[in-house]
Amino acid sequence: MTATEDYGYLRPPSDEKYDAVYRQPSSYNPLHTFTLPMGSDRHYQQQYGDMYFLRLAKLKPAVEKIATDAWGELTIAGESARRVDRVLDVRQGELCWMAGTVYMDMPLKPNILEDLTKETFTSAPPPRRTYTDPSNPSATQIMVEDESGRIRLTGNLLLSTQLATGVIIAALGTETVDGEFEVIDIKVPDLAPQPERWARGRLLPAESKEAGQEKSGKSGKIAFISGLGITGSSSDTLALELLSDYLLGYTGIDDSADPSRITRLIIAGNSLGASVTADAAATTADNAVKKKLAPKKYGYDASAYNSSPITQLDNFLAELLPSIPVTLMAGESDPANFSLPQQGIHRAMFPRSRAYCAPPSTGDNKQEVGWFDSVSNPWEGDVEGWRLWGCSGQNVDDVLRYLDFPSDDVDPVVDRDDSEARLRIMEAMLRWRCGVPTAPDTICRSLIMQRGRRNFLLITIPIGSYPFQTIDPFILESSPHIFFTGNQPVFKTTVIEAEGPFRLDGDMEMKDSDADTLNSRVRILSIPRFKDTGELILVDTETLEVEVIRFGAFAGQEEKK
Amino acid sequence: MNSKLYLAENVLNERHTVTYRSLSRSLKVHANRAKQILYEFHRTENAKRPHSVHATYVISGVQKPTAPPATNGHTKDEDEVMQSSPYLPSSMPNQEAASDVVSIASILLVREEDLEDAKATFESVKTIHVYSVQAAPLQDLNTLTTVCRELALTSTQDDPLECGSQWGMIQNRDVKRRSGTRPPPAAKAATTAKPESTVPAKRSLATKESAVRQENKPDESQPTSDSQSSVKSSSKSAAPQKGKSNLFSSFAKTKPPKPKHADSQATHSGADDVVPDDASEDDAEELFPESGDKAPSTNRETKKEREEKLKKMMEEEDADDEEMADADEEPQREPTPEEQPPPPPPSKAAELKEEVTVHGGRRRGRRQVMKKKTVKDEEGYLVTREEATWESFSEDEPAPPKKKPAVNVAKAKGKPTGQGNIMSFFGKK
Repeated sequence: MTATEDYGYLRPPSDEKYDAVYRQPSSYNPLHTFTLPMGSDRHYQQQYGDMYFLRLAKLKPAVEKIATDAWGELTIAGESARRVDRVLDVRQGELCWMAGTVYMDMPLKPNILEDLTKETFTSAPPPRRTYTDPSNPSATQIMVEDESGRIRLTGNLLLSTQLATGVIIAALGTETVDGEFEVIDIKVPDLAPQPERWARGRLLPAESKEAGQEKSGKSGKIAFISGLGITGSSSDTLALELLSDYLLGYTGIDDSADPSRITRLIIAGNSLGASVTADAAATTADNAVKKKLAPKKYGYDASAYNSSPITQLDNFLAELLPSIPVTLMAGESDPANFSLPQQGIHRAMFPRSRAYCAPPSTGDNKQEVGWFDSVSNPWEGDVEGWRLWGCSGQNVDDVLRYLDFPSDDVDPVVDRDDSEARLRIMEAMLRWRCGVPTAPDTICRSLIMQRGRRNFLLITIPIGSYPFQTIDPFILESSPHIFFTGNQPVFKTTVIEAEGPFRLDGDMEMKDSDADTLNSRVRILSIPRFKDTGELILVDTETLEVEVIRFGAFAGQEEKK
Repeated sequence: MNSKLYLAENVLNERHTVTYRSLSRSLKVHANRAKQILYEFHRTENAKRPHSVHATYVISGVQKPTAPPATNGHTKDEDEVMQSSPYLPSSMPNQEAASDVVSIASILLVREEDLEDAKATFESVKTIHVYSVQAAPLQDLNTLTTVCRELALTSTQDDPLECGSQWGMIQNRDVKRRSGTRPPPAAKAATTAKPESTVPAKRSLATKESAVRQENKPDESQPTSDSQSSVKSSSKSAAPQKGKSNLFSSFAKTKPPKPKHADSQATHSGADDVVPDDASEDDAEELFPESGDKAPSTNRETKKEREEKLKKMMEEEDADDEEMADADEEPQREPTPEEQPPPPPPSKAAELKEEVTVHGGRRRGRRQVMKKKTVKDEEGYLVTREEATWESFSEDEPAPPKKKPAVNVAKAKGKPTGQGNIMSFFGKK
């Protein structure tokens, strides 16, 4: 070592006494919006149409209000825009506007009937990154429907406006001679009203109130991570070890990223990379062996089931939990149900960590919030008073398939840089007031097709989501303060605001004044896959400012050899 | 000094990798102090003999924007984030918000050799500390994770809520843990390789309270690591080991624990027998050719020979009697342990005693386990004859070349017997 600085550690051991460091208390109040009824109360016989009906009923007033504000006194060429209550009431040649649900008919969209007829593929279809057919853009039809019927939209505006099935819009235009609706303008519900911070009450644990005085005014941090992708092999966990060292405070950084300020870790899905290992195992050398393993085995088969990933995840969590509360969201590759909303990974999967779970609910008692909370996907809840709404990434991935990007001519296997599009989709979701617009239409169904064929699962009816009857939980009734999506290729963040009419006065003053209460501001986080990027996202609990901590190994001379 | 002794034994003699956390846990010192101890050890040892000890470091700080290609070009397109919003033609509110630069801190693990290079990529370095020391340079940094996992397995009996402050973990006053359901201590050790390496040495050096602990909860400490108990008291742990060897041998790839080799295991390199299960095993073996097991090799060889003898005998037997009734086997198998006087000089009385039990266990293990093992090793054989699955049991994963002929013999002999069976059947009629 030639370094002259010792950084406190590169020196002989001293008898320095280290004070115990205490983590700042966490205030946590999850909402159970996406928790499905248990067991026998969960039915799949219902029709999905109800969900669209509910969604339209819920969002139509909002979008109509915005449209009325915008188009109420609008006159074009002496003709004033008339509001039409039902889609079918549109008259030809008349300037009018209507509200309804977008439905997109796309050539490559998975279709359940097609699925059934093509039950026996000779070869599995390649994973679809998009439902659009770049060679035949006109095959994509965009329609607006309501209870009465459907009308097809046309117009140049559609080329620049990107929509997805399930979005509620108001469209201004006229019906053409072909019976299509030529669109002039489109309005969406825009941001839902945002609750104030601590809207659901400050509930700090009792003990932490005593400790409150030593908070020393430092703001806390919420840590977000996703896509741990634990496979159980030795190759994936070095960054993970550094991560846990950091979170537990062994690798100290003393400035703003002081780990003791992190009050909660939120894991946004795909904690396991199990399917990767399964695929790799299936395709490589094991093939020959497997054929000869013909004698059937019943029960636990160590060769077919690899418990190592979940064991490692359990160990990882059990190590963190004594120090930091964890919210674990299920994800696409996690052992949970497949359709949205995914329910939390069952605590039985975590023999070591489950001691920190909430006790099983007994009777009608309100479920206590666990220190280790295995939650649904999507999930919403209050952390440090802020409303959080997050998904493990399926929502964005699926909407992305609806969109046609000019750069589509690249090789579909290669990941193009669609990170900006992803961020814009997230913004659009907030403005659509719908966190998962494409559920229950296509989301997950395509995924099931991809995964199902590969893993030879027997899937009779692909289900995009649970058929809710009385609510559509995917509606964002109130805007969250932090809207996050896991398992994105790269980290991105932005802040969006509702566009109120008074925003024209100037942005800066609005932001600094107490207009925050009037204007919703949402911090959008696109959380990268930890396995690929090694990044942990920290959000300040006072300012909602974002930091990134990156973990990894330095590729030195050994790797370059 | 305690820590120096510990490090000398583990790093220099046994060629283990010691991380600051494993040091902190085994010596029950603060993690920051453990970092300093490692640094001091690394410095003094290399002063005595250059390159006798290698270290890895953790650097934290802010990296320069022109970071390695792994950074995905965050900085590059940061300000294009909200360029235009085609979804909402009328809304373009937040140009300025989008361009806020997010601070990115990095925490990197670096080899000693690359430390200067790595530091050069940093704009500002917050801390550097030693992460691990080991006797040989690490070809693959990922091998450090095995040390960490081992740590996680071995330290399950330490309650992190109690010991956390000792280690320097960030405490939390609000932890809610349900009482009653104490996490099962390392029940999962069965699936991964047994952490045989560091435990004995640690325990022998460990402070007294750990011993007291273990006496207080014998039911917990015993299943956690039997190699540990073998060091402490071989007689006491004989019974559970017997049971365990059976249990473990029934798992496909794990080596059954060999308690009689407690001393040899200790000298054995931690890296190559604690590599977790599947594919990585072979690589790891190749990576550490020199991290040799000279001491255990002799022991192992003799054991292999014994095994082979036993196997040959069994092979001959089943070549001879075609019926292979269980009743016949019992008396014939009975004398095998006695027929095999252990070739190496029995170093300890305890060793001999345990050998017998293990043999007994192994013999029984054979009959139970055979089915699985046969499937793994000789698939061709399985096809021809299914009932004779018991004969091909291979005990150890890293089989010496000597073992191969024995297996072939088994095949060669097995097939004729199968046909002989049919012939004799017709002959009798």
